[in-house]
Amino acid sequence: MVKSKLKVPALLLSIAFMSMLLAACGSGNHSNTAAGNDASPPPASTAPAASPAQTKMTDGLGHEVEVPADPQRIIASYLEDYLVSLGVKPVAQWSVANGTQEYLQDSLKDLPTIPYDLPLEAVTSFDPDLLIIGSNSAVEGGKYDQYAKIAPTFVLGDEVNNDWRKALLKIGEVLHKSDEAQKVLDDYEKKAADAKAKLEAAIPGKSVAAVWLVQGKFYVVSDKLSSGAVLYKDLGLKAPEVVKEISASGAGNWNAISLEKLADLDADYLILVNSDKDSGSAALNDALWKSVPAVKNGNVYEYPKSSSWLYYGPVASSQMVDNLLKDIVK
Amino acid sequence: MGAFMSESERRKRRKAWLVAAILSAAIAVVFVVSMNTGVIRLSPIDVLRTLAGGGTERQQLILFDFRLPRIVISLLIGAGLAVSGAVLQALSRNALADPGIIGINSGAGLIVLLFIAYYPAPAATPAYLLPLLAWAGGGAAAALVFLLSYRRHKGLSSNRLILNGVAVNSGFAAVTIVVSLRINPEQYQFVATWMAGSIWGKDWSYVLALLPFIAILLPYVLFKSRTLNVLNLGTPMATGLGAFVSREQVLLLAAAVGLAGSCVAVSGSIGFVGLIAPHLARRLVGQRYQALLPVTALSGALLVMAADTIAKVILQPAEIPTGIIVAAVGAPYFLYLLYRSK
Repeated sequence: MVKSKLKVPALLLSIAFMSMLLAACGSGNHSNTAAGNDASPPPASTAPAASPAQTKMTDGLGHEVEVPADPQRIIASYLEDYLVSLGVKPVAQWSVANGTQEYLQDSLKDLPTIPYDLPLEAVTSFDPDLLIIGSNSAVEGGKYDQYAKIAPTFVLGDEVNNDWRKALLKIGEVLHKSDEAQKVLDDYEKKAADAKAKLEAAIPGKSVAAVWLVQGKFYVVSDKLSSGAVLYKDLGLKAPEVVKEISASGAGNWNAISLEKLADLDADYLILVNSDKDSGSAALNDALWKSVPAVKNGNVYEYPKSSSWLYYGPVASSQMVDNLLKDIVK
Repeated sequence: MGAFMSESERRKRRKAWLVAAILSAAIAVVFVVSMNTGVIRLSPIDVLRTLAGGGTERQQLILFDFRLPRIVISLLIGAGLAVSGAVLQALSRNALADPGIIGINSGAGLIVLLFIAYYPAPAATPAYLLPLLAWAGGGAAAALVFLLSYRRHKGLSSNRLILNGVAVNSGFAAVTIVVSLRINPEQYQFVATWMAGSIWGKDWSYVLALLPFIAILLPYVLFKSRTLNVLNLGTPMATGLGAFVSREQVLLLAAAVGLAGSCVAVSGSIGFVGLIAPHLARRLVGQRYQALLPVTALSGALLVMAADTIAKVILQPAEIPTGIIVAAVGAPYFLYLLYRSK
């Protein structure tokens, strides 16, 4: 409605401008713009083919979404973990200026990237037939309506998005793969239970903490979120007091910890996610770090930033379990 | 008054018209370039055909729903922020004043942050809610600065306005940092890009929301050009005019806040336009607000639209927040201006 109302003035305005441009072209200095573009074929007119069957679903924000029966060109930015676990290949993958989700690249290699903030035209350029979006803030400010004009758009919503089990089942439902999703979940729970038993046998009653080093600063994982949920909930490892204390006062997945506090870290084992490897990880030469009990005893397991420890999802969690089985249980 | 116009006055007017015409032409050119710019390639022929009602569904979507509203919004906020800055510079008689200084950006930013962090969103939030809150936040911050700077018998003190603005801004910034440490990365990302001035309302509905403010307040301020000239002259004359002045000050301040607040609400925190556009205009046409204001509006519009066009292409397919480009272009130019004017 708004569009049609504004089309006419916008049209008149633009024609006025266009004629000015054309007049300028006549004088000879702008001719290259037109010539350059003529060579390439105009974008294919891909009116979305009417899907034979669609299902109406209500997304996490209450939108009625017509989900195609068999979506072929999915964009589910930052939700690729779930798609990979379900054996679905999206048409583009999440990216930021300095990379992609490296732990998924076995499955997503060579897949084109899309910027994390999903610019409208970049999304359109992939001709998606289904968009799945995680958090509320990604569609804030009328963006939902604009995405929905490109393709049916399903928003999980923060509540589902923050719990990977719920998100997995929901995405399974959207993709008509509920059974597969349930199986992925069951397989993971079984794998985690096995690993839990093995860890109990290998390091009975020992505590473990995950520490992330990035740009010279240490962060410790929450005792309930992200990889903390895998360590303490799924694998039943003991959370050190310091971790509990910091998690109680911080709200993030990873909370900053000072070097002094780190020296108090009473964990028997440390998982170190090192994002500073390339820049020399100077912080690891600090005397205080070296005085952390687990470091002194040589019980540190270091993983690169390309590992899955900073993420969450079925594939990420499963890879964390693999890491521990390989390095601690052996 | 016109009858007594001197020759130099007449020359100045001619120059102002000429400058305005050149700026308008530049705006037209950038407008066309911007329509042809984006991740998806539309040739000028495609653009023309689509504008004429032809073109594929996809081309129409890109042009009418994605590109045009964004271009129009960048024009409007450029003009709005620039004029708001010019008014504030006259009111405070301080060449460094801009909408940011009376707390509009930080107030709006804080409200947006609180909304993103704590609004429990069980259902989709209406598109108007966030800009409305941002507007209210900016307005509240400005009102606070104003109340602190207002003295009953002396009216608005320009020094107090600036100093209180600085104080309120740092207070808001501190609270903003505390809150942003406690939110999750996705939420933080949104707030961070908002604060960097990504023009995030890119829909016709935002054009319609913004238009009334611009369409009413811009002419109002233009109508008050002479008052602004007087206010800009400084204290002796202004105190001579007494109560009249303080009433005019309040009304003009409210207009400046309304303009900047509505722009910031739609665009996110774009700084610098309100500071630099009036300076640019002053160099081009001098101090007289009758000429200064329209030229300020045009240069602000040109600046933001050009910055937004650059923001779209420079890192394709990713976009950088327009505010960053404005700052990147504006800062060196501003330094140059300061250097030239000694």
